[in-house]
Amino acid sequence: MKKMLALALALMMLLGAAAVAHADEGVTITYMASQDWVQDAEMELAEKFTEQTGIKVDFQIIPSDQYTNLLNSKLNSGECPDLFGSQAGKTDIVTLLNVEKNAVDLSGEAWAATVDPLAAAETSVNGKLYGQPAQDVSAVWAIAYNKKVFEKLNLKVPTNYEEFKAVCEAIKADGMIPIYEAVADGWHHQLWFCELGVAIEHDEPGTADKLNSNAMKFADSATAKKLIEQIKEMVDLGYWGDNYMANEYADAARAIAEGECAMTVANQGFPTDLNAAYPEFPAEDIGFFVMPLCDNQVLNMNPVGPTRFIYSGSKNIDAAKQYLAFLAEPENIQYQIEKVGKFNTLPFTTAKDAYSDDISAFYAAYPEHGTVYQTAVNYVNPQWMEIGKFLVEVLQGDSTAEGMLKYIDLNRESQAKAAQDPAWN
Amino acid sequence: MNKNRIYPTYFVFGALLLYTVLFVLPSLTGLGYSFTDWSVYSDEIHFIGLENFATVFSSDYNYTRMLANTIRFTLVTTVVKNAVGLALAVLLTKKVKLLNFHRAVMYLPCVLSALIVGMIFKSVLNPKIGLLNTFLRRIGLGFLASNWLTDSKIAFRSVMAVDIWKGMGYIMTILIAGIMSIPQTYYEAASIDGGNAWQCFRHITLPLLVPTLTVTTVLNVIYGLKVFDMVYSLTNGGPGFATEVMYTGVYKEFGLGRYAVGTTLSTVMTLVMLVAGYFMIKHMVKGDGQEI
Repeated sequence: MKKMLALALALMMLLGAAAVAHADEGVTITYMASQDWVQDAEMELAEKFTEQTGIKVDFQIIPSDQYTNLLNSKLNSGECPDLFGSQAGKTDIVTLLNVEKNAVDLSGEAWAATVDPLAAAETSVNGKLYGQPAQDVSAVWAIAYNKKVFEKLNLKVPTNYEEFKAVCEAIKADGMIPIYEAVADGWHHQLWFCELGVAIEHDEPGTADKLNSNAMKFADSATAKKLIEQIKEMVDLGYWGDNYMANEYADAARAIAEGECAMTVANQGFPTDLNAAYPEFPAEDIGFFVMPLCDNQVLNMNPVGPTRFIYSGSKNIDAAKQYLAFLAEPENIQYQIEKVGKFNTLPFTTAKDAYSDDISAFYAAYPEHGTVYQTAVNYVNPQWMEIGKFLVEVLQGDSTAEGMLKYIDLNRESQAKAAQDPAWN
Repeated sequence: MNKNRIYPTYFVFGALLLYTVLFVLPSLTGLGYSFTDWSVYSDEIHFIGLENFATVFSSDYNYTRMLANTIRFTLVTTVVKNAVGLALAVLLTKKVKLLNFHRAVMYLPCVLSALIVGMIFKSVLNPKIGLLNTFLRRIGLGFLASNWLTDSKIAFRSVMAVDIWKGMGYIMTILIAGIMSIPQTYYEAASIDGGNAWQCFRHITLPLLVPTLTVTTVLNVIYGLKVFDMVYSLTNGGPGFATEVMYTGVYKEFGLGRYAVGTTLSTVMTLVMLVAGYFMIKHMVKGDGQEI
């Protein structure tokens, strides 16, 4: 009898273990992200993850101009998918995402200790890590230019705004549009302003701190005003072409490869992506220089990028954690670096970078580094799309640089007061 | 059946309860929240008086522009949809070949979702590769090719034009029903008296269509004041803020977590609709109110 009982118990244990092993089968985790935030390589890894665990990943990719509103609406209405993507930033993840309430604390995950400390600081609140970096944050947004065009026209990399204008004039005179600027997406053209916060900081040191302590407003910065005026001047001089309002970032590679435009603002993965889409165009033919508005020569660094968060109201938290753990496995990190052209590395200590000599030389050419203003200054990133809209108003002559800066200040004040920021209350 | 039968008052309680719970209470709650600082940034809610209304009507922000755009959209689309719908209704109540086919073609756009129409026209109106500009260039009218949705000077007109295209068939259908209910004897009598087509339209069709036009006007005004999906799908309020309307503003405020400002915008729109409704009832309904 005892033997029978022992046998029955053993059988039940085996069945129980099998049930646990397959408990997650049939589970589907939903992952909502903005356009361009989920790479093909991640989708391939997700399929591999499904093969291993039985957990399916349903990607919900949202057009970038609608994403922030939709994400916030879903978070605020308690209807968020299991995983969501968002830009990190130590202030924004508190004020905009309220991660302490809306996201799951990931500090206890095995991979958490491998996140690059700078990136981890931007996804943590009160010492707890809430997000997993999804992209390379070492790359900077700079002007990618066609070296062949520069050689043909005997042009040199500009080091100040006047030289840059001369370069644009020469390219325009040759029948090309100097700069491909993607305004239609709503997120790209404001890079000219926010990334060049490094120029404001260079010309007016301490501005970011003063803005954060409410001791100064954007409207008080002569460099900020000059930046906007120079962006408008580029447009007025035809450097962005006639159809810049309808340009989409996804079309930038084509515009450069087909010789329609000579330059665009891109990060250092652009040459590889361009070459992948147009094999006849060598990646080495693309060079980079910093945006030289306001004579900027400071490298614009940003330790913040798209990040994965697990929604605290998810019913599949364990499955979502398994997915993040899978993505953070060293071989899967390396797989993404190898497969995604724009990733030269990922912000994990286990990652091995893949910088080319050209890109290393570009970084080395600008020894002075600064942090971009959407990260360095509070309440700028949450109004990213609004800044883009106002910049369009300026470009189309419906507003002025002063009006745009005043609007940014008003929005910052409104958000800071709502967040009960001591500097404003 | 006895038409004069009086039912007990408590029969209305069920409907009244549903109306109160699903409409009156949320509306009053929304009204209350417009006087607070309710937002995603703080768990506490404080009474702040009329501060949100001051913000909404401040020239520093874009809310007054959204309100002006909404009113402009309502007025223009109401007038044009009624005018075009009336012209189509008059044409398509005549003896023309393939009458039902023409009616169906004109009505078809209104069965499409506004989001779908928006996405289609976003492509059609693309300045570089859009069908319209390509067509204009092909027929030698390239000088007419424009940045239909990306030039702040004309984007709002484009949005209104697309909305008119989508909605005119619906108005036409209602007006056809109105025209067909006019007794033919009136036209026969006018014809005997020597009345021409214009005189018949001016003195018979139009006066007898006033009740129907009242209905289409009310429907258009309500629709126009609530417009959201068409603008959202075509321009998302852009370029810049050129085509923002009140409900794209409400959506964005909620998306940004500024709930109180969002409810304030809704409250303002409720007030606008009440005022518009009051004037429409006052001026359009006469006598025993049978026109609505």
